[in-house]
Formats: sequence, structure tokens, C-alpha cells
Amino acid sequence: MAERIDGDALRVTRDAGMGSENYPSRVSRHPLRITAREPDFVAKVEELCGENLYACYQCGKCAAGCLFADHMDFLPNQVLRLVQLADEAVLSSRAPWVCASCLACEVRCPKGVDIAKVMEALRLLSLRKGETGLRWGEIPPGVPQIALVGATRKLTP
Amino acid sequence: MSDKAVPSSAKASAAHHNASRVTRHALPYFPGCALKDQARGFEDSARAAMAALGYELAELPRWNCCGTVYSLATDDLMRHLGPVRNLVRVQDLGETRLVTLCAMCYNTLARSSRFVGADPERLERINAFMDDEADYRGGVEVVHLLELLRDEVTFEAIEAKVERPLDGLKVAPYYGCMLLRPREVGIDDPDSPGVLEALLSALGAEPVDFPQKAECCGAYQTVSSPEIARARVGEIVSAARWAGAELIATSCPLCTYNLEHHQVEREERETRHASPVTRHEIPILYFTQLLALALGVSEDKLGFAGLKFDPRPLLSDRELV
Ligand code: SF4
Ligand code: SF4
Repeated sequence: MAERIDGDALRVTRDAGMGSENYPSRVSRHPLRITAREPDFVAKVEELCGENLYACYQCGKCAAGCLFADHMDFLPNQVLRLVQLADEAVLSSRAPWVCASCLACEVRCPKGVDIAKVMEALRLLSLRKGETGLRWGEIPPGVPQIALVGATRKLTP
Repeated sequence: MSDKAVPSSAKASAAHHNASRVTRHALPYFPGCALKDQARGFEDSARAAMAALGYELAELPRWNCCGTVYSLATDDLMRHLGPVRNLVRVQDLGETRLVTLCAMCYNTLARSSRFVGADPERLERINAFMDDEADYRGGVEVVHLLELLRDEVTFEAIEAKVERPLDGLKVAPYYGCMLLRPREVGIDDPDSPGVLEALLSALGAEPVDFPQKAECCGAYQTVSSPEIARARVGEIVSAARWAGAELIATSCPLCTYNLEHHQVEREERETRHASPVTRHEIPILYFTQLLALALGVSEDKLGFAGLKFDPRPLLSDRELV
């Protein structure tokens, strides 16, 4: 992290008392507390996804309609917020890996933000550092080619 | 093509009000990998149905995989090469339109076509990559068969050619994502589509409305997080069941796989957890199989053999097979 606001060392913190298990409920979400900023981060994500990230006004419509939000640690709008606040901690969120690029959020965002593109940009930032969202040994037997090609293109470097 | 001649014989005289639009012209058609493998019945039934309507789906020469998912990043031009190579094949034929059946192929090809066509500089870079191909000049339109049936063949003309009305058959039309989103390529309203319902009504079936018809089936997450796909399929199938559906109609081999596979998984899990409920599984059909059935195509061309849940007991109960 290049820069800290007010000298506070806190990064995004998750409240362990509010659903620290893998699948927090829809209502109990982690409060966002941001202090560590990476100034180039927003520009980097914007360049990769081609979206204006500051257009988002946090209405939450994307999260309300996301059918995968139940499996995410941060809701889609929270992911957006973290990126706006330039906190690279968002890169360790589970949300971009759970996103199925279904585009339900994309057609509904009143500000025209394509969140699926933001999710893809975040995945790519991790994938290009060599991380992966798919462990070969855990692929269920019998999945068809169409699923394998889709998953490897989205979830592997 | 041999399958072209069969069902149209009885209908040579049926060159009715729509004759001018029925070109008998071979339509360049992109099958995609799944239709040559687990979704063979999709292709077979579509070809037979189109032949009955006076069209030939002519397989694109030397087509390659579309990539199945559209790249959402700005700097990923490489991922557009696969789709664009297919568009070059269409251009080579002197054609300007490509028909697709698989919703994922449709989406990927249609979006790539728009993406590279929208920016001359992008197009130039793509062409520089493909130095072994003729330059793609842009302008190939990718259409989904449902659009063609609605806008060109028209559902009225289809209704007039129905030989075996699917009377009283309760079918839940399941759209999933890729036919509808994003708006630029969606063939219908992204939240409240109706094209499949209209087709099913034209075939005499009873379309069953259910709120999950445009929701995601879990898509490729079935590989990395199958439990998420299972949860999605559970919601979709039980909603269709509650609405009274006897069959679900799809347009995507991945939706079909998920709806079939996770339906079984769920049933197994529920039985293991001592649920006393015994239920029959809902067969998942491609919409073209219902179309071909209604148009009088013979049973061996409907591709039912590849389906996990055989719809024939239900269909013979209704005297449709
Ligand atoms: S719907 Fe759009 S504006 Fe609203 S929170 Fe989501 S991204 Fe932001
Ligand atoms: S594209 Fe991703 S974030 Fe948006 S609704 Fe679908 S799963 Fe959720």
C-alpha cells in the first residue's frame, strides 16, 4: 500500500461477529472501513474494465438483484465502493470469483455501470499475477466442454 | 441435404401468404462445439424443423470454437480472434448474416462482432493478428434462430404449418442470461421476455410463466462451485414445478446440462436426507425439439436420445409421439 489516510493503518476490515462463516446472510454484511489507499489502483481497474467507476452512487440495485450475492463476502456494490476507495484489499475478496457474469446487474444499474466488467477486471488483476480460481483436482467429473471452456477462460490465467 | 427433403414433401403446396419471405436460401449457420457433442439433439431437431419451414441451415465451413464466454476486459483483443475468424468465414461466402442456436455462441459471436466492428483501429489490430486470413471488414450480423423465427419466418406462418399441435402441454420457457443480456445483443426484454412463450403458443403448447425464467442457471460456476449451481437450479426447477410445468424449454446446452445434472443431484440429496417426497424429474428440451415435434418431424430426428430425462412417456401420454 503506497499511502495511508490520516496515518491510520486499518484496511478493509470484516466484522467477525457478523457472519464470519463462508456464507454470510444477505443482511449482515461487513462494514467497510478504508484507510489504506493505492492511488493507481482506480485508474488501473478503470482501464481494464473501461467503466467510469465514480459513476456508481451506491444505490445497491446491483446487489439486490445478484443471484450469487448470497455466496459473496462483499456485495457487488461494496466491491465497487472498495475500488472507488482505492483499497487493493478488494483483490482478496471472494466476490469476483463467485460472479457468474450473468449480467443481471449490468441491465439494471441506473448509472450504466457494468459491474460484470469490474468483476472481470479484478479477476484479471489476480490472474495476471498467477493466481487461479479453479483447482484442477477439484473439477467435478463429467462436466461438459462448454462449462470447462467457460470456467477456464474466466477463472484461470 | 437429405434431411431437408423429408418433412417438406407434404408441404410443397403450403407456399402460402409468407412465400416471398421463404427464400429457400441456405442460411450460414454456426453450430458450435456443444451441438456436435452433448447437444446433438439441438442441432438435429433445428435442422429438421427449419427444413420443414423451407430453410436450410448450412453449416459454416471451417468454423472454430467461439470461446463460449465473451471477454469483458478492454485489453483482451486476443479473445476476439476466435469469434472474428468465424465472421471471416461468413464473409468468404459472400454472406452478411450468421445464424446461431446455442445461446452462448450467439452472445459471444454477436458481442465480438459489435465490439470489433465499432472501432476501425480495433479492427485493424485484429486483422494484423490474423495474417493468415482475409481481412475482416466488419458488418456480419449474428442472429439467433429464435429471432429469425419471430422476425422473418413469423410465428403466424409457423402456426399455419403445425401438424401436431402440442395441445395442453405445459412448458416453462427458460431463457437464462445469454439470449437477453446485455441489451445491445439481447433478443428480447432482459427482465420480462416473451419470444419463447409466443413460439410455444403458436405450437399449441401452454407456456407456463415463472419468475425465474431469465435468471442464471449457475453457468460455468458448475465447474468451480457446483454447490452454487445446484442452489440456482433448485430455485429455477422448483419454481417451474410450482407453476405447473411438465417440461422446460431451453436454448443453451450449458443451461440444459445444469438443469439436468443438478436436478438429479438435488433429488439424490433430498432422498438422502430422508425427504419423503417422491417427484418425477422435469425433462429439459431444446425449443427446437418442440418446434420440430409440432411441425410433424419424425421421432428419430427429434434427438430425444441424448436427453437425461426422457420426455417420451409424457408425450406419448398426450399422443404426441
Ligand atoms: S446498481 Fe450501479 S449505481 Fe447502484 S450500487 Fe450498483 S453499480 Fe452502483
Ligand atoms: S454479473 Fe456477477 S455481480 Fe452481476 S448479478 Fe451476475 S453474478 Fe452478480
